[in-house]
Amino acid sequence: MANLNIKSKQERTYQAIVIGSGISGGWAAKELCDLGVKTLMLERGRNVEHIKDYPTTNMLPYEFEHRGQVPEDIKKENPVVSRCYAFREDAMHFFVKDTEHPYVQEKPFDWIRGYQVGGKSLLWARQVQRWSDFDFEGPARDGFAVDWPIRYKDIAPWYSHVEKFAGVSGNKDGLDVLPDGEFLPGYELNVMEKYFQEQLKKNYGGDRHMISARCAHIHGNADFFAQQGRALCQNRNLCQRGCPFGGYFSSNSSTIPWALKTGNLTLRPDAVVHSIIYDEEKGKASGVRIIDRLTKEMEEFYADVIFLNAAALNSNLILMNSTSSRFPNGLGNDNGLLGKYVAFHNYRAGVSGEFEGLEEYTTSGGRPTSGYFPRFRNVYKQETDFLRGYAAGFSSGRGVRPNTEGLGMDLKNSLLNPDQYGPWYVGSHMMGETIPKESNYVALDPNLKDEWGMPQLKISVDYDDNDEKMVKDYLEQMTEMFEKAGVTNIRTRDDHRAPGLDIHEMGGVRMGKDPKTSLLNANHQLHAVPNVYVTDGASMTSTSTQNPSLTYMAFAARAAHHAVAESKK
Amino acid sequence: MNRRHALRHIALISGGLALIPSCDFSSDDILAAYQKLKVKSSEKELLGAISNTIIPAGEIKGALELAVPDFILVMVNDCMEEESQSRFMKGLRAFPEFAGKGFDQLSPKEKEAKVKEGLMLEGDDTEEGKVKQDIQYFLNTTKRLTIQGYMASEYIQTEIIPYSLIPGEYNGAVLISDLQKPRING
Repeated sequence: MANLNIKSKQERTYQAIVIGSGISGGWAAKELCDLGVKTLMLERGRNVEHIKDYPTTNMLPYEFEHRGQVPEDIKKENPVVSRCYAFREDAMHFFVKDTEHPYVQEKPFDWIRGYQVGGKSLLWARQVQRWSDFDFEGPARDGFAVDWPIRYKDIAPWYSHVEKFAGVSGNKDGLDVLPDGEFLPGYELNVMEKYFQEQLKKNYGGDRHMISARCAHIHGNADFFAQQGRALCQNRNLCQRGCPFGGYFSSNSSTIPWALKTGNLTLRPDAVVHSIIYDEEKGKASGVRIIDRLTKEMEEFYADVIFLNAAALNSNLILMNSTSSRFPNGLGNDNGLLGKYVAFHNYRAGVSGEFEGLEEYTTSGGRPTSGYFPRFRNVYKQETDFLRGYAAGFSSGRGVRPNTEGLGMDLKNSLLNPDQYGPWYVGSHMMGETIPKESNYVALDPNLKDEWGMPQLKISVDYDDNDEKMVKDYLEQMTEMFEKAGVTNIRTRDDHRAPGLDIHEMGGVRMGKDPKTSLLNANHQLHAVPNVYVTDGASMTSTSTQNPSLTYMAFAARAAHHAVAESKK
Repeated sequence: MNRRHALRHIALISGGLALIPSCDFSSDDILAAYQKLKVKSSEKELLGAISNTIIPAGEIKGALELAVPDFILVMVNDCMEEESQSRFMKGLRAFPEFAGKGFDQLSPKEKEAKVKEGLMLEGDDTEEGKVKQDIQYFLNTTKRLTIQGYMASEYIQTEIIPYSLIPGEYNGAVLISDLQKPRING
């Protein structure tokens, strides 16, 4: 019997479909809608509406049964996500549990995911440093991967475009490795961090820098952001719960409500994308096939242009699952490179210590960022026995603690009147560039399926000798910088964490000039299917060292404008 | 906090009945809310007395009034690995013998001295030594969780040292000598 509920094909036809509602999908949709394009946004998870669906956002510490800690049973059942620093009692509900969405680890890989409207943009660390040509020219200069088909000049105006709207606070640091952008007032470094900055200048003659990291927080120009319904960041540092002020940038607080307001966006949560439909006659993609998350029913949507922004590895999965007689090995995969050359950021190592000076000072209030070392290794020329380099996070702080030695009234009084100032804590962690390799890949498992009948993703990604050398160099260099600045009690760590926990997985659908060696062209279109754009982490040819989200935003905005310009031809 | 409310309402199951000799008519039931611990109400009372020795009542409330023992049991039951739970419970159960005459009967000063002694017990591989280790582990865990549960209680964070969800703009160079806070008397 005919299903009378089936909507007509016309009702399911849009001008554009955006797959994914995270940081890059949000930007693609916002730009398309601003340009008057009727857009459908598909999101595999549930809806999360700004403020309304942030259940923990205004909870006080004592309202959490375990004061923030994750119960042991949950940790045991979900070892992968439990290793993520932000998987705490206040934000557990925004993370994918291991048990719900299994995948195959051919080699250990901690795949951290957020399946809901807004994706991981609710949970990200909000660090937004621009790339420079030292990054875009890396593969060509150092002979790995393939040459990026774009340069800084191509993307710079789009960095500006997204920075202005998202709200990025930072200082004009004037560094060629980390170009300045459209900044709201920056956050100040504290007295110890400034001291460290001076020491660096003194000890390294201006070759190494530590700056206040640029972050996607509203720190000024409040009237402009009021148009988005967002307000100044309140320094709560509870961002992972979702911010009721919209103080930091997320799809939920910014791009999605903006796009909805244009009247051009249709948001469809609970839509697990099965595949992109390829029309053999027309020689282009014609729509997207989804499985309803709740009813498990299949449905098709149609559009002239498709944006794939499902997050790096899931974008790979969707293309691999989009097979047709023209593309038996996955959409656009004529050269067999789809899923290969996956890379990530190496976050294995850290250095910490104490500083005994500046003892008359402490800090007060909060700030949403900390210090940042732009890459200083192998920037102008190759100078070490490993390729590329690392950026590093840096922070210092000092708090007051009570003496907890005693018992009874003595203990009680010291708890209520804390007066012990320890030395300044000083800490750093590395963010290393990894080299994309054919042997680091993702593929569809031939047998295992998930609850929706989708093939499980098999991940085979590992460190290499270059990464080992880089870890060693970071530990040596950072220790030396700490020592020269008078930091004592220095401790180094290499936690040998699995790749993935950096949550900066990239590649598999890389950009390039040549269809024989890449999947996407300079405009993020599949070489073989130009009405499909991939503008998330999957498109990355190399990883550089900077937190990648800002670059995905700029890519998505740039590609959306390209798609609209093409449609008018 | 749902569990605390649940505790008040359905609090008890008659666990361990089969193990209790028929001549023992005292009711000492296993508390259902902490199912992994099988803790009895008498044991929870003892835990309350110990936590109240660690942070006693005075001008402002003590650990017992703030239901800190419930918090401790929630944390041990939910957030500790099995091995640690078992050490904690062994230590709790060995404590009465260590305390000598009923812990209840001791004066506040004596209670404090006893807990202090227990916190510093050193054990070894003998049976006796292991018991000492368990008591020491139990007391240090209890002290840590008492401090956490007390300081992060609604009472302290609203009435005594109000917690602010909005800490204010960052100042990276505050002179400690400029900070003056009124002394709070416990």
